[in-house]
Amino acid sequence: MAVADTPVYVEGIALNIGWHDATKDLSELIFDTVTLALEDADQSIDAVDSVVLAAHDLVDGRSLSSMVTAPAAGAYLREEIRFSDDAAGALVGAMTKLESGRARRSVVAAWGRSSEYNYDQFSQTLFDPIYGRPIGLNEFVLSAMRAQLYLATDHHKEQRTRASLRRDEAARANPRALKSGGYQSAAPYPLVAADLPLWADVAVALILSVEPAPIRVIGAGQSSEPYALGDRNLRALQGLQLAAGRAMTQAGTTGAQLDVVEVDGLTLIDEAMGLESIGFAAAGHGLEQLADDPRCNPSGGGAAGYCPPAMGLVRIVESILQLRGEAGVNQVAGARRAMATGSSTVAGQTHTAIVVEAA
Amino acid sequence: MTELITIPGRWEFDYTYFAGEAASRFFGELKDSRRIMGVRCPSCKRVLVPARSFCDVCFQRTEEWVEVGPEGVVETFTILTAAFAGMPKPPVVIAYVTFDGADTALLNVLTGLDLSNISDAAHRLQARPRVRASFVDEPQGRITDFTFTLL
Amino acid sequence: MSTRVGVIGIGQTPYKRAHPELSSAELIWAAVDEALRDANVDIDAIDVIIAGVAPDALSGENGVEKTAVLGSGKPFLRVNTGGATGSSATFAAADYVASGRAKMALVVGVERMGQATSSQNVFNTVFDPIYEKDFPLTTITMAALRASMSMRVYGYTSRDWAEIAARNHRNALRNPLAHLKLDVTVEDIMNSPLLAWPIHRYEACPMSEGACAMVLAAGDVVGSRSVAWIQGLSSMTDSYAMGDRINRAEGSLVDLLTLELSARRAYADAGITDPRRQVDVIELYSPFSSAEAMTYPALGMCAPEDGPRFVQEQLADVSLPVFNPSGGPQAANPVSATGMVRIAECALQVRGLAGERQVPDVVRAVATGQGGATQFSTVCVLGAEPPE
Repeated sequence: MAVADTPVYVEGIALNIGWHDATKDLSELIFDTVTLALEDADQSIDAVDSVVLAAHDLVDGRSLSSMVTAPAAGAYLREEIRFSDDAAGALVGAMTKLESGRARRSVVAAWGRSSEYNYDQFSQTLFDPIYGRPIGLNEFVLSAMRAQLYLATDHHKEQRTRASLRRDEAARANPRALKSGGYQSAAPYPLVAADLPLWADVAVALILSVEPAPIRVIGAGQSSEPYALGDRNLRALQGLQLAAGRAMTQAGTTGAQLDVVEVDGLTLIDEAMGLESIGFAAAGHGLEQLADDPRCNPSGGGAAGYCPPAMGLVRIVESILQLRGEAGVNQVAGARRAMATGSSTVAGQTHTAIVVEAA
Repeated sequence: MTELITIPGRWEFDYTYFAGEAASRFFGELKDSRRIMGVRCPSCKRVLVPARSFCDVCFQRTEEWVEVGPEGVVETFTILTAAFAGMPKPPVVIAYVTFDGADTALLNVLTGLDLSNISDAAHRLQARPRVRASFVDEPQGRITDFTFTLL
Repeated sequence: MSTRVGVIGIGQTPYKRAHPELSSAELIWAAVDEALRDANVDIDAIDVIIAGVAPDALSGENGVEKTAVLGSGKPFLRVNTGGATGSSATFAAADYVASGRAKMALVVGVERMGQATSSQNVFNTVFDPIYEKDFPLTTITMAALRASMSMRVYGYTSRDWAEIAARNHRNALRNPLAHLKLDVTVEDIMNSPLLAWPIHRYEACPMSEGACAMVLAAGDVVGSRSVAWIQGLSSMTDSYAMGDRINRAEGSLVDLLTLELSARRAYADAGITDPRRQVDVIELYSPFSSAEAMTYPALGMCAPEDGPRFVQEQLADVSLPVFNPSGGPQAANPVSATGMVRIAECALQVRGLAGERQVPDVVRAVATGQGGATQFSTVCVLGAEPPE
């Protein structure tokens, strides 16, 4: 499909991963992060004409989160919209505003504070009250069932250990990762603690613009999977495969031309499957690639700190830091083109893939 | 005719809201000094009450703290007259009051007004009466530490 | 360069207190199926789906929109801007089409609040937990705080609001989809129970369930279909704290500054210079009749101080736009969908498909949306002619 040929650039970024910082209420955390992104972009809020948010009411504990939080993100007397799902999707929403000519510069921001809410309560209510909730389903149970299908062969055992060691190592080396605090949920079989994300407080912001800047968004693709879990193939992430394919088509790139990939997944196994779905690892080799290939999730993925619905945008910001040569110890030398993905509840029902390039 | 099934549910979540440093200081002033505090925006110069760490209009950090009140004027109000689940038993008056020295108004409950005739009470409140912040005997460091009472 | 966008398909379920015979997914499907039929397209023709669902707590389901993933494999997003959700979702879909990322977009707003046992209890949890949630703030008391201020500042009376409410209820009698069909007089309304001074029950909206869906299409794929063109749209967000807006010089709590600014931009895009004469129908997102009165100056119908006089004028002057031919939100307020219903009703009027509630010869219609602490405002202009 022909996309209007308005190029879209990233002028500034900010990422704050922390834990239980009682000095700031949620709106103050957001204000600080958006302010940092504007400073990074060397722009004033006056030059912004759009604000696009991703936030979830039940994570924020405010039944209409954006009432209190949108003004903290710079929305006063500006166009503003809040998506209530993974933030990579919100980035595409912001792109459409720039590409259609409705806006010239947009704040894109997302957040979630694991220290303020209870993930397990949240996760249980994601399932419908008629068929799902009475059974006691939650997101990890689904990831576990998915992992069971994936790990059904023995040869994953050694790779899984290596992949999780490398993931921890990458997270420890990532200067933005959560270094103290946070917690993990209980791991249902066959998942183990090392597979699970580290719950953290996350605020992330990005300044998107039609004015040329060193980073350009050259591809965006989105897709979805059926609602009913029984209607899906849990062994594959078909929605992510479609989204990544669309993003690469638009970017005019192949997987082989990517220097870095940052794949979002709730667990290590989901990250491995994600890597296969975007075509960066051969089927059945996702864990191996995560263990051996420093271009895959150099940020440390879910081990660096996790909170929905911000993670897709976190992956995008980590990719951009790679392209700017500012990723720190985990810098991939000479990275010029990267893909980042974001997946939503429930068990990745919607997916977004973004390709960014150093201009 | 199929019998339609309904399934009972509960919707309960636990949260820990961080008030943050600015609101904590505001609440500390209520509790320890029975003072209402605002902050002045360095850009628009408005005194914002209750105190907060930034002005969302100017998108600027605020730092200068100023005491306001304890007297002020009723800007608008309502008298809750019907009972709703989870809400206090009617009648209850809530009002926005601009404290002396403040540029913005603060919401709280207004007490001590005779509510036996709602229409008369409303008429009185429509005249923008002056009020004072009256503190509870043992302030807890919450917004409920005081109510508005007519002067 | 932006692509022209039109509404080519509309589907609505009836709005009522509850639809116990339908699952959430079936409720969505009922509206979507009708919208696709109206547009004469198959789900395969849809490039993106935008779902509008306001607070999850109203339905007691977390992510009920996911049941609306239809024809999986499509981009799918959920918008939540409170009361403005339905219009914001429509605008997001229009952006996808205008950007060229989609040729056809499906939007669906679904409200399942019939499952809520106490909506006002839920609405209290939308307010700031630090400074305001301890008080009985709800959608009703929030509206009442504004209403009493606008009585003081502009001189509205309870009778003004009862007259607006009576007209809305009268119009709803011609709308087969309306939830409330109340044959009530101005006196009946003024004598209905007081909820929160000065608001009476019949001046307030009901809690309604239902779904609304629309198909939006790029100009080059509209073909010979009946279409309502989007001539202008704009949205704007305000500060949260209502107290911050009480003494604001640019526009106080009762002046709806963001609605005014949105209208200004949407009118400019649509080439409207005299809204009193160039607009035939206005569908307002005003869940209370007192809130409706505040929209008149913001939409360029009168000066703020002439608001009370305009209440009488719009009842008598047939050259003015017709307000809420559907009955508006006082007749049905499926919160997640209400903003979309305003746009859908305008599109039906422009296409001449509004049935018994059709206003003759509609060339141009305006739909509003409002959400949050009357913070999020949207204005959408629809017309029979494509925009310039």
